[in-house]
Amino acid sequence: MINNLIVSGSPHIHKPESVARIMWTVVISLIPALIAGVIIFGANALWVTLAAVTAAVLTELILGLCTRKKVTVFDGTAVITGILLAFNLPSEVPLWLPIVGAVFSIAIGKAVFGGLGQNIFNPALVGRVFLMASWPKYMTTFTLPFNLDAVTSATPLAALKEGKVLEHISYLDLFLGKHGGCLGEVCILALLLGAALLFIKRYISWHIPFTYILTTGVFVYIFGGDKLFSGDWLFHILSGGLILGAFFMATDYVATPLTARGQLIFGVGCGLLTAVIRLWGGYPEGVSYAILMMNATTPFIDRYTKVRIYGTR
Amino acid sequence: MKNLIKEFTKGIIKENPTFVLALGLCPTLAVSVSVANAIGMGIAATFVLLGSSIIISLVRDFIPDRIRIPCYIVIIATFVTIAELCMKAYSPALDRSLGIYVPLIVVNCIVLGRAEAYACKNNLSRSFFDGLGMGVGFTLALILISAIREFLGSGQLLGHTLVKGFEPVFVFGMPSGALLVIGLLLGLFNLLKEKRT
Amino acid sequence: MNIQEFLTIFISAVFVYNVILSRFLGLCSFIAISKETKPALAMSSAVMFVIVMSSMITWFVYRYLLLPFNLAYLRTISFILVIATFVQLVEMVIRKVSPQLYRAFGIYLPLITVNCAVLGVAVLNIDMFFINGKAVQGSFYYSVFQGVCVGLGYTLAMLLMSGIRERLELCNVPKPLKDFPLAFIIASVLSLSFMGFSGFKF
Repeated sequence: MINNLIVSGSPHIHKPESVARIMWTVVISLIPALIAGVIIFGANALWVTLAAVTAAVLTELILGLCTRKKVTVFDGTAVITGILLAFNLPSEVPLWLPIVGAVFSIAIGKAVFGGLGQNIFNPALVGRVFLMASWPKYMTTFTLPFNLDAVTSATPLAALKEGKVLEHISYLDLFLGKHGGCLGEVCILALLLGAALLFIKRYISWHIPFTYILTTGVFVYIFGGDKLFSGDWLFHILSGGLILGAFFMATDYVATPLTARGQLIFGVGCGLLTAVIRLWGGYPEGVSYAILMMNATTPFIDRYTKVRIYGTR
Repeated sequence: MKNLIKEFTKGIIKENPTFVLALGLCPTLAVSVSVANAIGMGIAATFVLLGSSIIISLVRDFIPDRIRIPCYIVIIATFVTIAELCMKAYSPALDRSLGIYVPLIVVNCIVLGRAEAYACKNNLSRSFFDGLGMGVGFTLALILISAIREFLGSGQLLGHTLVKGFEPVFVFGMPSGALLVIGLLLGLFNLLKEKRT
Repeated sequence: MNIQEFLTIFISAVFVYNVILSRFLGLCSFIAISKETKPALAMSSAVMFVIVMSSMITWFVYRYLLLPFNLAYLRTISFILVIATFVQLVEMVIRKVSPQLYRAFGIYLPLITVNCAVLGVAVLNIDMFFINGKAVQGSFYYSVFQGVCVGLGYTLAMLLMSGIRERLELCNVPKPLKDFPLAFIIASVLSLSFMGFSGFKF
């Protein structure tokens, strides 16, 4: 009752949108990729995801109670963090790994900055790079798809880095996810379905994902081959976590620039860093590092792309 | 005598150079990968602190005020060179693992800070105990941080495995782990301080 | 001496072994002055200038004074003296020539003497580009270039940190973590993300 009497500044139009509603829609948009992951890698993928989500939600709840803040568990942000973290893990990791990662994501990636809406970095990625630095052994052991005996295999990008020839993987395999990789990043088709939902709902804009993917593709096309302008750009776009990162992690509301111009800069930066790390860095995949580094520059981008208020200089 | 003991103990808890004064963090973070390194660094820094405190409190009346900082630096650098050469001679392995951080004791803010804030105003015995206390406080803080990092980062303490089946968290052996540990420890100290008041 | 060497020095000094985030040199000034962008930028440019100049001077001191007279053990003392004198000189010159510039970063200059990054780079240059008491080919250029890159790395970390901390001013940060502790935690995440460049090769 009392809330209705508060007069606030314009706009006065109400929409049924709220943080919780948007976030649960994002959760729904991630479900296809989860189903694809379970089909491709077996039930383990589901357990890893559940472990990460449970740990993330519990951590959020406990830290929320400790700091006596408004309880923000039910708005779904912790669930998203858990799912995105799990999507960035191989399916055969021991179950404590997603749990530790999720606790770290929520505690260091989010709670220390004051919780919801104040984090500087994408929490799931903070957890992911922490796990990557701590237990590289588990984080880089991938299994072959559709194989119950858990035969290990390299991801296409890792194989490329080691200089192996990749003739048996077609673009269609990459698109459908028939190759080794993290459990949520392999099936491009499912990810695009989810992303389409977010586009239709207008929860994400085209600026970041498209500039990100385009920049990576163009850079790889120019510098990725033996000669200039001969790189396999389609392979680089379809493999690794680029699609997952571009649509679901680089579009995080909190840790990315606010204005369209800022988002374009952000996307181009992510694309350049990803391509540079993939082509010359020590790691086969650079998406998470690229997004984190650009997250760090976000306050700056925001400052220099501020929309001029009419009548000011 | 009681005063002197107080000069000594204040450096360990109440004015702990690392946690309370937040001085000299560069070497603290860099060498705290293992407890052995931390002890070596702590001893070297304590030696330099003690030596420079003694000399500076002895010559404090002869140094013109305007050039006191360069004078302090020369005195400190002399002791650092002594420590560096001794370490090279008697424990080359430690010298290698500490690397450039031994000569960098010269610019350790604790040493110059104590010279400027304490030794140049107080007599020999008080400066001696102040330097000793600060050195011990610095060493203890280093050992605390390095124990946390060595245990989490490699599952060992002083090279002995403590818990079987523990999967080491490699990140604590890395620079980012050091920053994380010191950040959380400083937060913890703030929390304790808040609770007490 | 080739372009690859320079690129390797660049990537390792700016990202992989960033002075602040990986070598922890200049950490005190980094934590203390990174609260706002303007002073952070002034401090960074001052540090950069001093690092580049002092890597030149210390290289000459080491190559033409200490080595020929077999005085390499006086390295630490002579370097810190040279740096302190140089900083003092710069301060005096700036105060005389441009009072405006002096106001902008004059107050940071005395701090730089005890900035570990300056002495650290000088010592590092000697460790990396002198083998068995002999300068490797092109070591002077490597030293100066490494000075420039370390300065760039310092500036990069300083700018990112100051941007983030300015934004955090508006955030509801848990009280015990306010200021220093949180700055360290942010630096830790930054350091994690810079690890993406490790193992860089062309």
